[in-house]
Amino acid sequence: MTARRKRLSPAARRERVFAYSLLMPAVLAVFALIAYPMYLVFSISFREGKSLNFLALDRRPLGFGNYDYVLNDSATWHSVYVSLVYTFGTIIPAFAIGLLTALLLNRVFPFRRWLRSLILLPWAVPGVMVSIIFVWLFDAQFGVVNYLLRSAGLITSDIAWYTTESTALFAVIVPTLWKSYPFFTLTLLAAMQSIPGHLYEAARVDGASMWQRFRHITWPGIRSPATLALVLNGLWVFREFDIIFAATGGGPAKATETLGIRAYNEAFGYFYMGRASVIGVLMLAIALAAVFIARRQLRKEFF
Amino acid sequence: MKPTNVIVWLAAAFCGLFISNAFAQKPIELEFPSWQIEEAGAGEYWTELIKAFEAKHPNVKIRKQQVPFREYVDKLTVRFAGNNPPDIVHLPTRNFIAFASQNWLSPLDADLASTDVKATYTKLADEMNYEGKTYGVLMMGYGMMFYYNEKMLSDAKVGIPKTSDELLKAIAATTDANAGRFGWGAPTNEHPNVFVEISTWVTGEGASLFKGNQYNFTDPAVIKAVDKFRAAVKNAPKGTSSEQARQLFIDGKIAMLRDGPWVAAALKKAPDATKPYLKMGMMPFAKIPGGTSNSLHIPAKIDPEKRKLVWEFIRMTTTPEWQSKFTLLTSSPAPRRNALSPADLAAHPEIALVNKAAAESVNLFPEAVAVRENYNEFAKIFVESGLKLITSDRPTADIMRDLQSEMTKRVPAK
Repeated sequence: MTARRKRLSPAARRERVFAYSLLMPAVLAVFALIAYPMYLVFSISFREGKSLNFLALDRRPLGFGNYDYVLNDSATWHSVYVSLVYTFGTIIPAFAIGLLTALLLNRVFPFRRWLRSLILLPWAVPGVMVSIIFVWLFDAQFGVVNYLLRSAGLITSDIAWYTTESTALFAVIVPTLWKSYPFFTLTLLAAMQSIPGHLYEAARVDGASMWQRFRHITWPGIRSPATLALVLNGLWVFREFDIIFAATGGGPAKATETLGIRAYNEAFGYFYMGRASVIGVLMLAIALAAVFIARRQLRKEFF
Repeated sequence: MKPTNVIVWLAAAFCGLFISNAFAQKPIELEFPSWQIEEAGAGEYWTELIKAFEAKHPNVKIRKQQVPFREYVDKLTVRFAGNNPPDIVHLPTRNFIAFASQNWLSPLDADLASTDVKATYTKLADEMNYEGKTYGVLMMGYGMMFYYNEKMLSDAKVGIPKTSDELLKAIAATTDANAGRFGWGAPTNEHPNVFVEISTWVTGEGASLFKGNQYNFTDPAVIKAVDKFRAAVKNAPKGTSSEQARQLFIDGKIAMLRDGPWVAAALKKAPDATKPYLKMGMMPFAKIPGGTSNSLHIPAKIDPEKRKLVWEFIRMTTTPEWQSKFTLLTSSPAPRRNALSPADLAAHPEIALVNKAAAESVNLFPEAVAVRENYNEFAKIFVESGLKLITSDRPTADIMRDLQSEMTKRVPAK
């Protein structure tokens, strides 16, 4: 026998309506800022041909030609490779530096507060400014990096960091790393400070070494926030645009052309909006795949 | 009517008169983006022209906006694509057909009929035609000039080169990268002028990147010329734009440079330490490469009243007075024949040299309409390979072959 659906009392109905109306602004914001733009990207990805009139995109013919072109173009997979190298090349060292600085700041020493502000400063600097700073640092003729390397005898002639294919990707990873590590520092430091101090005291009394204290007390205490920070920062770096665009524009010869840069070039350099949208869909698919792979760990930590 | 009501009505009428008067007097603003606003010579020309125009039209203000050349065409294209074009359209002429083919520019045939442009401008003005209509007014056609630092050449005990082989020897002799001195200046980063630099060497050697409506990148004569380009650019500072290369030349860090005649105006403002040694001459090439430089246009989408004003502004540039001023301020040849009086020519001997180069020049830009309609994409793809030529050791023939294959696929020449 099926249970009869309970009829709601007028009060309960009013409460439900009130609850939904409180949710409505958030729902509208999600629709306007996330769902509708996403729908537009998918819709434009099926519009074939060059489109120099942004207002007449819906008049372009529909088809799968853009998907065929982008997915069969070797330049696309090159951009995927560059994006992955850029992301992992940034996140792994940024995490290591963030962890080390968090461990440092977790200690008590003079001027700790000042040092904390200084270490977190790169996070506040806009990406374009970061790019300008590092373009000058790595300048082929007048940059301080070449000067220091030559003074140390490590190179004999100046390296054109941003205009040589073999060094350009490294030269854009460095500023991104500089800008990314403070987020790890902040997250891990907050997690470390929630670990009870008596655990360390007890471990010291028991004769545990520094590494043992880190492995058995610190790391288990920060693992959850570290996992989330890795996923979030990884996704941010994966879709990073302004640092690379301001420094190299995706060059030289596509050496730093990540998917984000490629999408920009297809849209505003060559005016193939449909192809740019396909690259956007591909980026979304890769990001979803990464979150899917990390979901087990995230679920274990948080749910 | 009550006295208070009368006062209220009178006050309202007075306010209305004031407001409508204020609106009537509100100046019309014409937007004028350009990469030349801060350029030596050209910047002064535009400032004087705008001042004179505003003096003739007190209710009109022209808002200049400097946009770096490297991003200029991209930014302008996005504006047109977004249906928000500027009022006065200043374009590198190599890109104008791409804009005209999108019906973004207004034909000027009716406007030009009331001027003497067709009768007095050189043949280069025909470059403004597309599909039987004229879409712009040419500002300049030119031949490449050779700039050199006399002192740096004599310190290296080399004479002024007269051939491309002598040029390469002089470049090598004047380079000391560790001391921050370079024999050659050229754009060596992602810059649209990388194409101009390579095409200059190819055209200068008597070869051509184009053969009718086909790309000719793998021709042995082209490969040989590109090899010379690579040899030259090995001794150029890396990661520099055209503008940076010019500045380094003016600062005495670069011995030689090829560029348009407009650099001569910048040399007049060089520091005292280098000014006496900075000279301009004819390119030491078999042929003088050149082409059309820039032009003014009116957007197709524009308010009729603004259109009249923009045309009046453009028409001013075509008059003998402003053609003469253009040449004197920018040291570049104006498109009007005999723009300078004999007295002015005698007082400015560098203009005679510039005019000679312009008269002898061979076009270094693509002529196929299909390429010109997609010039921006063509240039970007070419520059990518240009950077490989500059920074890698891959054989020239391999890079040019790959370039030909990609270009044929993405920007068919017919």
